[in-house]
Amino acid sequence: MKDKIILTALVMVAVAVFALSAGFSDAAEQKVCCEKTVNSLLCQEVGESQCAAGSKKSPTACASTDFCRLGTCYDSIEGTCIDNTPKIACNAAGGVWNKTSPPQCSLGCCILGDQAAFVSLVRCKRLSGLSGLQTNYRKDVTDEVQCVNLVRNQDKGACVYESEFVKTCKFTTRAECSGGVNGTSLKGQFFKDKLCSAEELGTNCAPTSKTTCVSGKDEVYFIDSCGNPANIFDASKAPAYDSQKKIRNLGGIKDYWTNAKRKEQSCNPSALSGNAESSTCGNCNYLAGSYCRASNKRTGPENICADLNCKSIGKKHGESWCASADKGISDSNGKKPVGSRYFKNICVNGEVIVEACDDFRQQECIQDAIQTSAGPFSQAACKVNRWRDCIAQDNEPDCLNSDKRDCTWNPGLSAGNSTNGACLPLVSPGLKFWEGEEARAACSLGNAACVVQFEKGLFGGKECKSGCECLKSDWVSDRQNICMALGDCGPGINWIGERGYKQGFSVTEEKKSD
Amino acid sequence: MLKKRGQVAIFVIIAILIVIGIILLFLYKDRLFPGKEGAEAFSPESYLKSCIEPYIKNSLAIQAKQGGFIAPEGYLDYKNEKITYICYTNEYFKPCVVQRPMIKAQMEKELEASVLGRARGCVESLIGEYKNRGFSANAGEVKNKVEILPGKIGVSFTMPLTVTKETSTQRFDRFDIGIKSEMYDLLLISENIASFEAEFGDSEITSYMQYYPDLKIEKDKTAEGSKIYTVTNVATKEKFRFATRSLVWSPGYGVDEK
Repeated sequence: MKDKIILTALVMVAVAVFALSAGFSDAAEQKVCCEKTVNSLLCQEVGESQCAAGSKKSPTACASTDFCRLGTCYDSIEGTCIDNTPKIACNAAGGVWNKTSPPQCSLGCCILGDQAAFVSLVRCKRLSGLSGLQTNYRKDVTDEVQCVNLVRNQDKGACVYESEFVKTCKFTTRAECSGGVNGTSLKGQFFKDKLCSAEELGTNCAPTSKTTCVSGKDEVYFIDSCGNPANIFDASKAPAYDSQKKIRNLGGIKDYWTNAKRKEQSCNPSALSGNAESSTCGNCNYLAGSYCRASNKRTGPENICADLNCKSIGKKHGESWCASADKGISDSNGKKPVGSRYFKNICVNGEVIVEACDDFRQQECIQDAIQTSAGPFSQAACKVNRWRDCIAQDNEPDCLNSDKRDCTWNPGLSAGNSTNGACLPLVSPGLKFWEGEEARAACSLGNAACVVQFEKGLFGGKECKSGCECLKSDWVSDRQNICMALGDCGPGINWIGERGYKQGFSVTEEKKSD
Repeated sequence: MLKKRGQVAIFVIIAILIVIGIILLFLYKDRLFPGKEGAEAFSPESYLKSCIEPYIKNSLAIQAKQGGFIAPEGYLDYKNEKITYICYTNEYFKPCVVQRPMIKAQMEKELEASVLGRARGCVESLIGEYKNRGFSANAGEVKNKVEILPGKIGVSFTMPLTVTKETSTQRFDRFDIGIKSEMYDLLLISENIASFEAEFGDSEITSYMQYYPDLKIEKDKTAEGSKIYTVTNVATKEKFRFATRSLVWSPGYGVDEK
């Protein structure tokens, strides 16, 4: 009869940095839907004691109550509609609340001169009124693209009319000219593609060397003496003045002050820099990173094509890329240092804006680049880290289903219910290990017990019969890696590169004989 | 001969005195005839604007950094500053509920109430200014209205004001002044961001900035899931700041609730 000794090695692997004193949840208080909390927040599901005195409350979800049902809040002055608003919030703001979207919120195309907006009728009236235009609303246009296209190819030119016995002019659309200039009943004579400064029109509008930025346009424009935008600013086309500050004969630039020119017919249309910072050409190009802005130089034009790119770091306006402040090294298995976080950098208007992704690595930053004629253009985004159900997966295809989760499959390991491989988060999540009990529970998913069976020899000594892999040092390090991949568990390094004060796991052995 | 020379000298002296007199008249005409010139140059609108503008701008700046309210309720305590939650949920994994719709209207109401006292003071000061200029002036009850409009803050003073001097009388019923501001656009964008958060849980600030070249949006996040948005007009440097808490992913599995 063989004398069998079964040696059981129970290996406990767990984080040892819990703050046990902190954060035990209060005795469970009944949650209610509260119309107004003690902190003046509206329609929140909170403990009963958090409800403000006199506030309506109900022990159900807010969506099931009448007083906190969400609806549409309609602003009858601005003509705007805001969804997902509780009645109490809407009424307090002076709006009109409806359970469903009211007919006033239905959208159509509002034409505002050479601009268009896909808005409600009341909003259109408001915008037209504010712009001094007559309301031109097209209910039959049902999508925004169609609406924008409606105004794209409108005729523009000089609208000559008489005001207070003076023959004057406005550079506008044919529709505004024939429908009433500046929202009045004054109708003018329209000259397509002509500028108001054209001598042949005989108006009181003359060329000037002044410039302006036009709403919705990238470029710097000359303005005439009536305040109308003329062609794109080109220093060689500016009128010259004599000693009495009167314009000399326009000569070679007469055509530039008579006919409207397209962008391609203006100065340096294909400059890769978009004529950024040029004091002689105002043909800016937003996509190339230049845009009309007031100049801060004492000399030169009042407005120039400002450079929006982040030159010092070689990034273009609108580019975004991922960044990290970690000093602790994250390894290739996705284990991130404790306290580490993803960041997204954006280059806007010549400066870099930093947007932090959600803390505790609940979001990760992803980036890619598209190739353009001016080089690669990178785009980054903070993406939700879908790690929560990784540990519940027991097969490789489910684990690696990137439509549903962000996990990695580790064959030969066991975690959770899976024995043929461990499905672990691709990016380990952070845990609030210093408070509450949840981190302890989450880390305990990495606990494992391994049974090693020995057979005692007749003349002493023992031979390992099963579970022998657990005796190798690899087994402990594998378990450590599983712990660290589960979250801020195990022997971690923090984001400033310092190792924890405790070991972060423990291995215990228990002998059993049969 | 000598007699003639003396006469010429007298004429020359008189001519010099006349010239000096004319020069002095031009140089000191404002001091010598303040009433008439002053009344022609004096604009009550400009006077009221210069009186109320600093106050409006100051109130607006305070409101703008606190989410639109002078005394915020339902706010985030962020670096010892109160920032109103425009959209909020205390739960994990859920989009927020709009807390302050129609921010513009609410801001106008607060601004109007906060400047009313100052507006009355400005009208009293205007009457005083008229009196200093030799006029008699009387005003009735002052009502003021503040509107945040595209490109400006419109302030109207509605009051019967009568200004009299000698036989001429001028009567005013209302003064409208405009203070340059791009707050209107900032508020509509902010409202749109909050609406987006309520619908989808989060908003993508890069696309807003690419679409509106004059706009800069910063999004700070706190550890408990609140977001602080700062919307800036890069040309005028005006800012509007507000807070939201929406679609918060819990640290861990979210068993320990907030």
